[in-house]
Amino acid sequence: MTNEKNRKKSQVAAIWRRLRKNKMAVLGLVILSLIILLAVFADLLFDYETLVIQQSAALRLKPPSAEHWLGTDEVGRDILARIVHGARISLPVAFVTIAAATVIGGLLGAISGYGSRQLDNIIMRIMDVFLAIPSILLSIALVAALGTSMTNMILAISISNIPPFARIVRSAVMTIKNEEYIEAARAIGASDARIIVKHILPNCMAPIIVQATLSIAGSILAIASLSFIGLGISPPTPEWGSMLSTGRQFFRAAWWVCAFPGFAIMLTILSLNLLGDGLRDALDPKLKT
Amino acid sequence: MEDRKDVILEIKDLKKYFKSPTGTLHAVDGVSFSIRRGETLGLVGESGCGKSTIGRLILGLHQATGGEILFNGRDICKMSKPELHSLRRDLQIIFQDPFSSLNPRMSIGEIIGEPLRIHKKIRSRAELDAEVSRLMDVVGLSARLFNSYPHELDGGRRQRVGIARALSLKPQFIVCDEPVSSLDVSIQAQVLNLLKDLQGEFGLTYLFITHDLSVVKFFSDKIAVMYLGQLVETADSAGLFRDPLHPYSQALLSAIPVPSSRQKMKRVKLIGELQSPIDPEPGCRFAKRCLYAEKGCTGKDLILRDFGDGHCCACCRAGVLPDETVFH
Amino acid sequence: MDLKKTVVPEERASQRPLLDIRGLRVEYHTDEEVVYAVNGLDLTIGKGESVGLVGETGAGKTTTALSVLRLIASPPGKIMGGQIWFEGEDLLQAKPRRLREIRGSKISVIFQDPMTSLNPVYSVGDQIAEVIHQHEKCSREEGRKKAGDMLEMVGIPRARYSEYPHQFSGGMKQRVVIAMSLACSPELLLADEPTTALDVTIQAQVLELMSNLKEELGTSLLLITHDLGVVAQVCDRVAIMYGGEIVESGTIAEVFDHPHHPYTIGLFGSIPTLDETVDKLKPIQGQMPDPTILPEGCAFAPRCPYASEVCQHTKPETVCVGGGHQVRCLAHQGAFQSPELMEEVRRGR
Repeated sequence: MTNEKNRKKSQVAAIWRRLRKNKMAVLGLVILSLIILLAVFADLLFDYETLVIQQSAALRLKPPSAEHWLGTDEVGRDILARIVHGARISLPVAFVTIAAATVIGGLLGAISGYGSRQLDNIIMRIMDVFLAIPSILLSIALVAALGTSMTNMILAISISNIPPFARIVRSAVMTIKNEEYIEAARAIGASDARIIVKHILPNCMAPIIVQATLSIAGSILAIASLSFIGLGISPPTPEWGSMLSTGRQFFRAAWWVCAFPGFAIMLTILSLNLLGDGLRDALDPKLKT
Repeated sequence: MEDRKDVILEIKDLKKYFKSPTGTLHAVDGVSFSIRRGETLGLVGESGCGKSTIGRLILGLHQATGGEILFNGRDICKMSKPELHSLRRDLQIIFQDPFSSLNPRMSIGEIIGEPLRIHKKIRSRAELDAEVSRLMDVVGLSARLFNSYPHELDGGRRQRVGIARALSLKPQFIVCDEPVSSLDVSIQAQVLNLLKDLQGEFGLTYLFITHDLSVVKFFSDKIAVMYLGQLVETADSAGLFRDPLHPYSQALLSAIPVPSSRQKMKRVKLIGELQSPIDPEPGCRFAKRCLYAEKGCTGKDLILRDFGDGHCCACCRAGVLPDETVFH
Repeated sequence: MDLKKTVVPEERASQRPLLDIRGLRVEYHTDEEVVYAVNGLDLTIGKGESVGLVGETGAGKTTTALSVLRLIASPPGKIMGGQIWFEGEDLLQAKPRRLREIRGSKISVIFQDPMTSLNPVYSVGDQIAEVIHQHEKCSREEGRKKAGDMLEMVGIPRARYSEYPHQFSGGMKQRVVIAMSLACSPELLLADEPTTALDVTIQAQVLELMSNLKEELGTSLLLITHDLGVVAQVCDRVAIMYGGEIVESGTIAEVFDHPHHPYTIGLFGSIPTLDETVDKLKPIQGQMPDPTILPEGCAFAPRCPYASEVCQHTKPETVCVGGGHQVRCLAHQGAFQSPELMEEVRRGR
């Protein structure tokens, strides 16, 4: 068992060291961690009932102040509280959609890359069909067809993210399967399944992780976009996209109502992108430790 | 007639063709030779001659297009998957590039132990680790490298890992595909000595594939020369260097730069460029570059003629050609 | 035997060396460590002379060659000290513009892999012509004609001027690269393992070509290689490199017949020769030194079968052991007695 622990330690340590050197990536990680922390402790910081749900005509459209750091919205709810609670929706949902897409897409990609030409063709042509449709349109179409609900939204976003993962894993598998150590594995009698699981997939992790990180960002945007047009999360649940949508009409008079949710989206996506780019460099095996 | 006793591997009329966009690539075309137990056969030739392909065909990593590969009398080409699987224990391979032949995400201990795990040779973890340590000791790797990764080691040590892995299942026969070509000269010598020692200790038979002629002479008992998928000459090492019969062998031997202040080579010149192995014409493929070629050289199938003492040559004009070689 | 005679590179008034490298030091600085690639290298190349620079991986040969033309990527490489005298000026102090003038016209480089040295989207003729246009004032037409001449010179029919690199084999590509490097008749050609990637028979052809051209054009050559056979065939003199320093140098006859440095002796013992049959080779024990650690004494001491206590702490100096034959070894310097080493030297090969 010491072998396993040692292995994890040295590899992760090396990657972490490389990541640490990238200031932008560290910035992204810090921001993301903050957002996650806020989301985790949202209930402690901002009481859900009083601040997020309860409407109050008196507190309508108040600008940022000491009491309400980011102001209030059109029905008197604290915007900061709503944004923080909104993170509790956006982040987990985005994570779930991408996790599903990774597993399904990865599996399809691995089969496609390692299997026969015909199988590869069939799978990839199906993926091409999905890729030809802009993901937002695809999500909209799916949700419109299946009905507006959280589950359907997750389904729609997952499906539209499967093709990129399938492609990435497929191309990684196709590159790796020609490496000499795969030949060596066959020479010592490893089965196809063992080769895929033990030899190929671990060496594909880098592009998968990078794509996942960047896709989560895209997913957050997709959730926001769907909610923006009313096909995602419905009010009064605080969600950044729907907050943006309702805030639109008050932009002239009370810019903070839609500016801050928009800013939240931007910040989250920025941090994920910075982290994703940093991970891509840190995981690159060609860079010396 | 050659001594048929104790032949461990015999190849008969082996063929391997690949389909390419421009035609059929004749990588290996009708090659036959045999190797006796405990012997080393050196397989030499330049790039594209098919020597690496033969190595992989023997291991069952490629499917042959035609011919037979008889290992201890049984034809590998006709074996079922389970039979091939158990064959792996007897036939192993050491690759040329010690870096790309080791999984970068596995530790040295895992790499060496994997064959044992796959073939379920050892039950307990402790026993496995002990066996791996023993193998590391045999090939001269320090025990503290057990948890290291390939990229932390230099080429020589990585190659020792590859050798340890090949030895783990106690094979009878090892294909060495250019095992020292990527190594520095001083490390090459260490690894070659190691391979020789192992052969003596474990009674191994080697197929030693290389393009380096000086190494092959030192290392092999017999040598087979290939050109563009065809076997052009076989002989025991001393015999080949003393008296190369085939014009290609002569050109090859004379092209070796000799590290000596005295001997300036008299080179047997070759005309033209390497042919394409795609859809070649029947007959000798060396004819187009050969100074002695005549009309009769192409158009008919190649025959390996025996000149005595196991020295065979595929040149139809061998024996009547002027001897241009430097080495007497 | 001469003891304790340190040799400074000669500079005879009449026969000034074409290239005179003195005390070159090059390091690579990464975030974590410093790699000491070249540690005080002295090397001279005369006019029309071909010198082989022999060493294994990590000895610092390529770094040396790249330093001459200041082609070291910086960062992480840094030339820490030394001088490189060429035609009366120190290249390490030269301005970038002067270096660009020199590169390709006075000093040319051939790199190891012909596949990547040629630009795939230009015809081979045009690539040669580009070098010519860069350095010589001539018309389009003249340039093309000269490029065609160069192709003929390296044995490629002029008619193939407009063909692209992918239409040539490895050996032919290397010939094109040679043509490019010699197009402006440079004084000095730096060739870094020019034939390592080629098959033996093709290598023989290319080496012969290089020898002939060298004779014809009077170009000096610095041939970097790990192959002692190649050096013996093409070069007049040889310098053996280990751990960023030259440990032995001299004419081919001097070094090959009576190698003095234990490393050189070990190298010859490691290569199987064709004329004798040996049962086992005599490899050099141990591994290459860690280039991030600058040794206190002799870089080869840990692996040297003749080393003594003093070798661990004292850096050897270069001494002359006869003619132009120089060795950097404390035993030859007289710092201690090693009868085994002397016997080995006396016996020779």
